[in-house]
Amino acid sequence: MHISLKREIKRSHFGQAGLAILALVVIAAIFAPLLSGYEPTATSVNSLQAPSAAHWLGTNHVGQDIWSQLLYGARTSLAVGFGVGILSLILSIIFGVSAALIGGIYDQIIMRIVDALIVIPMIIIVILVAAYIRPDLPVIILLLSALSWQGGARVIRAQALSLKQSGHIAAARGMGAGQVYVALKHIVPDLGPILLVEFIYGVRRAVFIQAGLAFLGIGDPMQVSWGTMMRDAMSYSYLNVWQWWLIPAGVALSLTIIGLTFVSHAAESVLDPRLRGEAVA
Amino acid sequence: MLEIKNLRVSYGTDAVLTGVDLEIKAGETLAIIGESGAGKTTLGLSIMRLAEASVTGEICFKGKDLLRLSGDEMRALRWDAIAMVFQNVNNVLNPVHNCLEQVAEPLVAHRHAGKKYAREKAGELLARFGLPRQRFKAYPHQLSGGEQQRVLLAMSLVLDPDLLIMDEPLSSLDVTTREELGELLKQNGGSNARLVISHDLDTAARLAGRLAVLYGGRIVETGPTVAVLENPRHPYTRALVRAYPNMTTVKDLQGIKGRMTRPVSGCAFHPRCTQAITKCKTEIPPLVRHEGRAVACHRGGIITLLATENLARSFGAIKAVDGVSLAIAAGETLALVGQSGSGKTTLAKTIMGLHQPQAGAVYLEGKKVTDRKKAFYRRVQMIFQNPGESLSHRLSVLELVTEPLDIQRIGTKAERREKAIRTIGEVELSTEERFLDTYPHHLSGGELQRVAIARALALDPDLLIADEPTAFLDASVGAKILKLLLNLQENRGLSLLYITHDIAAARKVSDRIAVMLAGKIVESGPSARVVAAPQQDYTRRLLASAASLH
Repeated sequence: MHISLKREIKRSHFGQAGLAILALVVIAAIFAPLLSGYEPTATSVNSLQAPSAAHWLGTNHVGQDIWSQLLYGARTSLAVGFGVGILSLILSIIFGVSAALIGGIYDQIIMRIVDALIVIPMIIIVILVAAYIRPDLPVIILLLSALSWQGGARVIRAQALSLKQSGHIAAARGMGAGQVYVALKHIVPDLGPILLVEFIYGVRRAVFIQAGLAFLGIGDPMQVSWGTMMRDAMSYSYLNVWQWWLIPAGVALSLTIIGLTFVSHAAESVLDPRLRGEAVA
Repeated sequence: MLEIKNLRVSYGTDAVLTGVDLEIKAGETLAIIGESGAGKTTLGLSIMRLAEASVTGEICFKGKDLLRLSGDEMRALRWDAIAMVFQNVNNVLNPVHNCLEQVAEPLVAHRHAGKKYAREKAGELLARFGLPRQRFKAYPHQLSGGEQQRVLLAMSLVLDPDLLIMDEPLSSLDVTTREELGELLKQNGGSNARLVISHDLDTAARLAGRLAVLYGGRIVETGPTVAVLENPRHPYTRALVRAYPNMTTVKDLQGIKGRMTRPVSGCAFHPRCTQAITKCKTEIPPLVRHEGRAVACHRGGIITLLATENLARSFGAIKAVDGVSLAIAAGETLALVGQSGSGKTTLAKTIMGLHQPQAGAVYLEGKKVTDRKKAFYRRVQMIFQNPGESLSHRLSVLELVTEPLDIQRIGTKAERREKAIRTIGEVELSTEERFLDTYPHHLSGGELQRVAIARALALDPDLLIADEPTAFLDASVGAKILKLLLNLQENRGLSLLYITHDIAAARKVSDRIAVMLAGKIVESGPSARVVAAPQQDYTRRLLASAASLH
């Protein structure tokens, strides 16, 4: 069972490619102010320009620099992605592990909630809720987290149930260990690879959904994001400059998601094939 | 016949006997058992008033206190009414008299008998003790040790004393002579009372109907010989029996930790006792009588550490544990023997609280265990069947052994580490830094099991439940693990519930065996009895299929 996740991901070609892409996106997000001379929200009179030396990717309808928007859009995507990834993973662990350890009626209740959340399409709820509360970015993160822990919880519960039977957990109980100790010291560490896969899966989904919501115009319209860029570009499709505006955002979003997919693919291959089936489900 | 009350004997400042109470009735043989230095011989000499020591208390012989008699009165009784056979044969016989003269002499001297009558009587006694007639004229230096002993015994009985004290009467003899003389002594018993002094349990078992165990100058246990030896109540008596090589017990020999020291406050045995409490250090326990036996112990003798009562646990329709009542005494090994699927592991896990019992109860030192708090696990620990599985692969050896201390929050971090390292040393593993940082998958099966044992011992439990501790090991490693467990028992007074399918191993390590079949205990008793005279067909089957080299 001693598998170095880092080593396995680095060894796989998918993993290498995915990590390289993600590194690019992260660098773009972190160093956005250095890589671009313009504020992403600064408007100018030079609207709807094609790429030039001054504006590498041109400008939009209010004269904002598209290259700059692209870089700052990475910040939004990653913030939502990793924020939701971490929060929903924590929720998955709390509910999945506690359901497995406590069992009984508590387990039944948690699992029925999971079933319900899986059946109800998340995007509809988010649209409805967002329509009412006009959420800013942190609220989007909370909302998406609250609605996307169920799949992970189910996988984690299944794994925790099998771990619960293992000898070292019986031994720890035989030393007088309580549920919390067993969960933190013996179950969560052994979930390792599953947690990584679930996390990347959550990040990928969140990036995609955030872009979708922005594209639909839900959330703060002033927030620089790839989804917003694509939505604005689409509304200028009757002019033949829109492609300079739409394509970079689309490519950036696709690349990010591909990068995440590659990494999660590499991480999954580390897992036991038996577990892999569950993790993908 | 003889009643001793609060006898205290000291040589100068050395108190040898510190309050002995004894009673011997006419026709009865009482054996005094104890290690050398316990004060056995001093006791015999004190009764004879031959001890050159200060003696206080009462020694009532036929209602007269011997300690209050004048020298002349005592001389009249000595040999005539109270005789003693001394320990060291060689110096006792007079080298210038032949056997017949030796034995006849007391009759002439004490009873003023005629020489002819005296010789006839002596010859008769010598013959009864199996000395061939042609050896009657032999001188002491011409006799073998066994023959000398025969002469001595004949001599001591020639005056038909009311009380005969025999100090190690059979100890220096070979086994066949011992057997023969033992028989002869019994046959020539008569109505006199006898006091046999010996360190040898066999002598006591052969000659005496009653047994008194002497330790540190006091009687710690008395009772009928068979009962005391089969079911000792005092920890010291049990330790003596365990240390004595014999054909009855089947468990491996075990010594007694430490050695006898004097003087000791409170109970003399407490420094070596494995169930001592604070009271034992300060107060001398009185000899308490109960059903014809008596034990001097503040804890009422060997305590019952853990007991189960009608414990039941089923899985669906399968009754894995079906009304099991067991008792495990402090410092004893109970082997739970049965085929796989008989419910042994379920029983162990139910005791540990890893399965909830559906009926029945578990008692720890007589108190019902309702809610298994951390305190319970400090006293009862378990070694699981497969050490590879029960040890988390994420923790190093040191972390594994420290884990129970962490869970129980015992001491500071440094203290836990130190304790863990000490325990690792105790199970005969390396305590080098490099080994402590090793992860379980780099260890051999034997090492894994030792780590598992160390982890269970880190909390200093009183009871260790060992579930098939040798099942995954080859024979030589398994043997070492069993030896280790026995040594731990000797040194810590650990009680063991040893779970195994292997009755051959069980008989080597256990005091008692309980045979389990389909969730029930079908037979239980002292290991020797279960193995030698099984009552149940299933036990016979287990024995028949056990490992054998023939």
